[in-house]
Formats: sequence, structure tokens, C-alpha cells
Amino acid sequence: MNPPASILARLPALPRPALPSTFPPVLARVVDRLPSRPPSFAFAAAANGLAWRALRELDWSAARGKRFHARVRDLGLNLYFSVRADGFHAESSQRADVTFTASAADFARLALRLEDPDTLFFNRRLRIEGDTDLGLAVKNLLDAVELESIAAAMPAGLGQVIPHLRRLAA
Amino acid sequence: MKLTLGPLLYYWSREDTLAFHEAAAGWPVDTIHLGETVCSRRHLLRLADWLELADKLAAAGKQVVLSTQTLIESESDLKALRKLIAWVAERRAGGQSDILVEANEWGAARLLAQAGLSFVAGPTLNVYNPDTLAMLADMGARRWVPPVEMPRDMLVAMRASAAWPVGMETELFTYGRLPLAFSARCFTARHYNLQKDDCQFRCLDHPDGLTLSTREGEDFLAINGIQTQSARVMSLAHRLDELRAAGVDAIRLSPQARQMARVVETFRALLDGALTPVAASERLTRLMPAPACDGYWLGEAGMAWHPERIQEEIPS
Amino acid sequence: MSPSLLELICPAGSLPALKAAVDHGADGVYLGLRDNTNARNFSGLNFDTKTLAEGIRHAHAKGVKVLMALNTFPQPATLARWHTAIDTAATSGVDAVILADPGLMAYAVKNHPGLRLHLSVQGSATSYEAIEFYRERFGIRRAVLPRVLSLAQVENVIAHTDVEIELFGFGGLCVMVEGRCLLSSYACGDSPNTFGACSPGHAVRWEQTPKGMETRLNGVLIDRYADHEKAGYPTLCKGRFAVGAETYYALEEPTSLNSMELLPEMARLGIAAIKIEGRQRSPAYVAQVTKVWRAAIDAVKKAPETFQPHPAWMAELNKVSEGSMHTLGAYYRPWK
Repeated sequence: MNPPASILARLPALPRPALPSTFPPVLARVVDRLPSRPPSFAFAAAANGLAWRALRELDWSAARGKRFHARVRDLGLNLYFSVRADGFHAESSQRADVTFTASAADFARLALRLEDPDTLFFNRRLRIEGDTDLGLAVKNLLDAVELESIAAAMPAGLGQVIPHLRRLAA
Repeated sequence: MKLTLGPLLYYWSREDTLAFHEAAAGWPVDTIHLGETVCSRRHLLRLADWLELADKLAAAGKQVVLSTQTLIESESDLKALRKLIAWVAERRAGGQSDILVEANEWGAARLLAQAGLSFVAGPTLNVYNPDTLAMLADMGARRWVPPVEMPRDMLVAMRASAAWPVGMETELFTYGRLPLAFSARCFTARHYNLQKDDCQFRCLDHPDGLTLSTREGEDFLAINGIQTQSARVMSLAHRLDELRAAGVDAIRLSPQARQMARVVETFRALLDGALTPVAASERLTRLMPAPACDGYWLGEAGMAWHPERIQEEIPS
Repeated sequence: MSPSLLELICPAGSLPALKAAVDHGADGVYLGLRDNTNARNFSGLNFDTKTLAEGIRHAHAKGVKVLMALNTFPQPATLARWHTAIDTAATSGVDAVILADPGLMAYAVKNHPGLRLHLSVQGSATSYEAIEFYRERFGIRRAVLPRVLSLAQVENVIAHTDVEIELFGFGGLCVMVEGRCLLSSYACGDSPNTFGACSPGHAVRWEQTPKGMETRLNGVLIDRYADHEKAGYPTLCKGRFAVGAETYYALEEPTSLNSMELLPEMARLGIAAIKIEGRQRSPAYVAQVTKVWRAAIDAVKKAPETFQPHPAWMAELNKVSEGSMHTLGAYYRPWK
């Protein structure tokens, strides 16, 4: 089964939110294509299209039945989702077992493995509230994925973007 | 079941230390520990003083145990350790074999085994399984003190194991502020903005340790030089039947600055059946320098206190 | 074979972290299995048999050693778990196991006589008498010293034993003698000795409140941080408490150990290996820290007399440090 060839192309165009100057321009171009409402659905769709193929082999048992909340501080964006057997699901309820809070740029740097979460935590740039163990489990689960395997599993061509993004955001 | 007066963990004046132990000669305890286990800078009693006390207490019919330093850092720490062991070995050679040594780290255990002396395996040897205990028995340990965090179920499982060394006596830390951690750093000196090498012996001002509370005002720990203790006082008197069922042979009472004689009397009355466990426990709460805890025995947070949860039957 | 000198031993909590260490110049990596047989038993961390095999393959292909930490204390009800872990280590081809418990060492020696044994820092051996105990009985080849001795005291240990000595070089700083700290279990029931973690995630809560961000362990308030303040790990030894009338970091500030400036002295003493702490951290940290320490160790081996930690190295290390601060810890006597 192949994921959709270009999930980004199919996302509806929307008014651009004002992005902070620290936000890497390339990532900003990706983010401002996301619909502002409901962003959780767009996030789940994007995550499924881009990364689920590489992530689905992981042992998600700790996340089963749990709800996650990612709060993108500088964009005022709140993403609510869960992880089920077939991928990420947007949640409409605002109840979450664990909440991660960081800026868009820091979330991006974490995703690209450029920054260590503990370092961001010490510097008060990352917050984990709620079920800490669940937060750690997911953090460690994602740390254990090799970036190359995510890139390789991405829709055609997109995988090459990762090293590029790493250079730009470093 | 026997009663043991554990080593004095605090630093008291010379007069107070001597008076305390001389009084203990008349207390209804079977065993008395002597010696400095916490800090090598504490010098008001020299080895010779401890040994003199040892003789007095042995003459009063007490089983005397000399406890060794827990954190060995320097060559002079080792020298003191070797001297202590040599003294006991000499007595043994002279036909007096009544005094034991408690090894509180593996260097002491090695030296005791080399000297062919039977010994007590102290709580900081970290014995959590019967294989390690069996090895200590081979080396000459005849009594052991489990780590203070060991829960009842683990102790019961140890004793049920095929590897359990027959004849090994178990002594449990049953009463007192729990020794929880050791450091190279002196937290008492730090509190006074002093360096350890120039600590001015401020521990003398805190005969039951220096209480540390959370920012919400909850008493949590007690600073005792390089040692960190619980603020709460471990008390398992109400669990005497559980202790017996778990095969505990001796209970250790850790010295406190006041009311220690009455603490000992209370435990004696408890062991003799003159006080019920509940009555003894209630009396002890009035004698303690801080509130009680018993969580470790239940396999929970050490600071927890659940006197209502008594289990007399040990599941087999 | 010439004796080891300043081998760089780096942490690996996951396969990508292992590869980061190997690819950035580690001489050895240390890792653990996914349970309480090692002292970094955090959810989602560590290796299963599949990632272990791949990790060993990757490391050995580049001539890097793999050390497996089995450094918690086996308990009677679950003894078999530790024994199986030793068997796994031996059959998977790790270069050494890092152990703390004498009973487990006895098992290893009896069942896998060829397996190289290192004494873990959790074994709390601070004197050569203690180290010699493990050497005589089990033939340990290396001992990792707790972070309590000054360098002069380390020198005295080295003078009296043939066992190689490994020292902590960088990372989270235990203020207490490792293996002799029960603060975590006193507050939450789980200690490094038995559970394999200090302040395990299930007992930690962070909460933003009007007074600041609060860190709690099983309800016990460890600290409360104002918005501008750097934070530390949720360990009790790095909390702020009230003693008398004063509220302060009563045990230690949130800070990391960084002994880089002592490298020439460590080389002179013949320290076999330098350990970098941080199996709980991400591959990004491992890459950053390994790279810097590789450069520093190479520099000190080349010209020990003129060695100076490069300011850029120190800045890079401070960036990833707890509280963005570092200390020489007990290596520097006045710290005590």
C-alpha cells in the first residue's frame, strides 16, 4: 500500500497566519498550508501521509487509548490526537492524557533530530504536562526511529527533503 | 527476637556520646553497635574511646558490634578500618571472641574475610538476593541487615529461596530516621556556607539531624553531614507479628537524642508481651522527634504511613 | 596489548543514539535491555534482541566496543530475568557487561567464564580494597568509580590495583554515592537499585501554575521554577528546599558534571576510560557530546602539556547541560 503521492498538494490553501521571525522559512511554507480549523485533522492527515508508514511498526502499546495534545505556543495552535492501529486520529475533545508545549521552530527541530528534548526542557522551551511516563515513552519511541527509515518510507521525493531541512534548520 | 541498638548516626559531644552508651549498658537491649559510620571528620571519640566503650559494654553482658565507615575515600579511612579489624582479630586470638564487626562496604567485608573474622553484613552492602547473601555467609557473615528499602515480600522471598544460607540471622532496621543516602559532599557544611574541610563541626548543633522541608512546608528529609536521612521516623512496632512471620531475628533501633531509653523500654515491653503492638506503636509516636512512616515494609514510598494495614498471615 | 587510555565511552538509549556515538568517534558505547536489569529503566528506552544485534553489528564494523549495563540488583522473585540478561549479553557478543551485584557476578563467572566483567558505578566501590574484592572473587577488569573522590584519591586507588579505572567525564551529576541513594524510593517507592530508575516517569508531574512550573515526585514538591529560571531533572537532589529560614538548592543545583579541564591529569594518572552520562537522552545529544569529547581526547593525547578545553567545546557542552551549568564535582575538593 502506497500513501498518497503528495499529501501536501491536496491540503486546502488557507489564509496565512503571521509567523514569528524565528520560524524557519521552509517550514513556515509547510505550516501555512495547514488549515487553521480544525488543525488537528490536518495534522493527523499530514502525519499519516508523511510518516505513518515508518512509524506503524513501532510498539505503540503505551499510547493505546491515550489522547495527546501538542500546543504550538507561538502559533496558538492546539493539536489533539490519538494513535490507533491504522494511524493518527484527530480528536475533537480537548481532553488529553499528556500535553507537549513548544514553539513551532522547536517542535520542528525536535522532529528533525537537531535538538535534544532534555536540553529544551532545561531551557524551559519544552513542557510536558499530564502523564509524564506516557510523554517519555512516546519521546523515546520516536527517538528510536532512524531518520533515514522515515525518509525512505515517505511519499516519493519527500524523503529527500529531510536532510535538506536539517541543514536549513541547524 | 533480639533487640539491637544501632550505631549512633549523629555527631554528639563527647560527654553526650559517652553518657548515652554508658546508660545503654543498663538498657534491656541484647546488642549495641559502636563506632562512627558517617563521617571521618568526626573525631571527638577516637578509636581507642570506642574500644574502651566496647569493653565496658561487653563486660555488662551486651553483644558489641563495631560498625565501619560507610563511605571510604582516603588512605587514612582505610588505615582506621584496618586498625579496628586488627583489634578485634587480636581479641579473638586472645580467646575473647565476643565482639563483632559490621561491614558497611565491600572493602571491610574483604578485610574481615581475610582475617577470618565472622561479621555482620550492614545495610549498605546492598544485599537484595539470596545468592549475594550466601556468598557473604561463605565469607563469614553470620548476621545481615537488609537495605532499609527492602519490603516484606522481598524478605520473605529471600528466606524461601533454596540459596538462603542456613543459620543466617536477619536484623531489620525497625525504628529511627532512615539513612537514605551518602555523598562526598557535606550538606550541613553547605547549609552554613562552609566547605567540608572547614565545617566547624556544625553537626554538633543538630543532634537529630537538620530538617529539610519542601517549599510547601512539608518536612521531608533530614541532613546529617554527608548523610541524608528521612525526616520521618521509621516505626514498625505495630507490625511485630509480620516481622516474626517474615523471620526477622533482631530489630534495630536507631539512636535519637532524647527519650531513647523509653523507646527501648517500649520495644522491650512489646517483645515481652507486656504491650500490644498497637499500644507500643501509639506510645512510640509520642517519643519520636517527627511523625512516623512504614511505607518501605509495604513495598511503597518509604515516607508512607499505613498503620491500619496490618497483615498477619504471610501468603505462602 | 597496551593498556587502555582515555577510551571514550558513550551512552546509547536507542539504536539511533548508538549509531550517533559510533559515527561521531566513541571508542565504546554502553547500553541496556528494556527492563529493570539496568539503571536507565525508562519507558520506551533501551534495546531488545533485534536492535541489540544490529547495534553490535554496527559498532563492531567500525571497531567500537559494546558494553552492556546490567547494573541493578537482582531480586529473589525475578532472579531469572537477570540471569537471562547475562546469557543474552554473552551470546550476543557484547565486549563486556557492567555489573553491580556480587551474586550476579558469580552467575556470570560460572556460566560464561569468557565474559569480561566491569564493576558498575552502582557497585559503590570507592576504595581499592573494595575493588580488589571484586577482582579477587570475579576477576573484574575495570571499575567505574562513583563521583565522590578527588583526583588525588583516584590516584591512590590506581596505585593499589591493576583493575582499569573508568571515570565519569560529562553529564548528569549524581551528588550521592551511586548505589547508596534511596531518596527516590523514599518519595515514590522506586529506587535505582531495584527499579532501575531515579524519579521514574510514572511518579513525576510537571505543572504550570500561577506561581511557576512545579515539579513533583509522587506529590512531593521538588521545585517551582519562575519563567526565566533554567530547570533541572526531576530528581530530589536537584530540588529547592527549606532548611531553617532559607530556601535554596540544599543538596545541589541543577548542573552537569564536566571534567574536561582535568583531562591532562587523567591521562597522567592512566585513567582507562572516560564515561559520558546520558542513556536517557536523544541521539542529538549523543552526537553533540561525543563529537566534542572525541576532539578533546585526541587533543590531550597529542599534546597533554598544552591542552586547554576549547571555549567552543565548553559552550557546546554547557548548551546541553542541566541548568546550562557545569561543575567539576568531587574531583575538585572545595565542591565537597
